[in-house]
Amino acid sequence: MQEISCEDLLQYLSDYIDENLDEELTAVAKHHLATCHSCSVVLDSTQKTIFLYRQQGKRTIPAKRRERLFDRLQDAFLAGKGETA
Amino acid sequence: MLNEQELLSALRRRDSAAFNQLFDTYSDKVYRLALSQLENEDEAEGVVQDAFLRLFERLDQFEGRSKLSTWLYRVAYNLCQDRLRQRRPLLSLDEDNDDNDLPAPTVLIDWEDLPEQYLSAAEVSAELDRAIATLPPKLKTVFMLREMEGLSTRECAEVVGISVSAAKVRLHRARLLLREQLAAYFAERV
Ligand SMILES: [Zn+2]
Repeated sequence: MQEISCEDLLQYLSDYIDENLDEELTAVAKHHLATCHSCSVVLDSTQKTIFLYRQQGKRTIPAKRRERLFDRLQDAFLAGKGETA
Repeated sequence: MLNEQELLSALRRRDSAAFNQLFDTYSDKVYRLALSQLENEDEAEGVVQDAFLRLFERLDQFEGRSKLSTWLYRVAYNLCQDRLRQRRPLLSLDEDNDDNDLPAPTVLIDWEDLPEQYLSAAEVSAELDRAIATLPPKLKTVFMLREMEGLSTRECAEVVGISVSAAKVRLHRARLLLREQLAAYFAERV
């Protein structure tokens, strides 16, 4: 099995997480991760960082603002009626 | 729910139900993008408004070469860039540091050893917000579009107007920088 360095692994890390590596590189990366504690820690903590971020609630437009915006945009939208006929 | 083609034709007829669907589907998405760029609610609202108005103007020419969401994000992103440039006219927003070395991980505590509640605490969420706020804007955009809004790397690239490989690099750098900050935060606490 081809060996890679920690620097190489770091380069591939996002592609590894997103499963964008080809079969061969995936196997090489897996092999490195199985034998290198630092890199497996970096992988685990990066995945958890992404997970924590995705778990955060999505912000939405505050209600008052949203209402105002809706009214203004709806007016503008409907005012365009004649132009496209 | 209309599909995108149906939605566009209904919008061209100025169908008010179509407007409702458009607003419900996209206003929060565009708002989040703008807020992450501008960090100001009034300005973010202004960007949502301007992006939608531009869509109304272009409805007849809209060819559907890109998805409606990608198109709106792209317009909104550019509007944000304009506003940022007005704020700081002398600052180059896009000075290129995509070629820089990757941020090397230096804090290597094992998160498996952290008490379970560490990873679910509201504090961590706040720390993550702080960390995201410190990201260079161009990294932040790709990261949030990808991880929060679920765009593909290709779509992120289209929104920001960069190559797919540049978008990948930005995403990767953003992930590593955030990881590092959270790791440092945890390291102080164990
Ligand atoms: Zn390693």
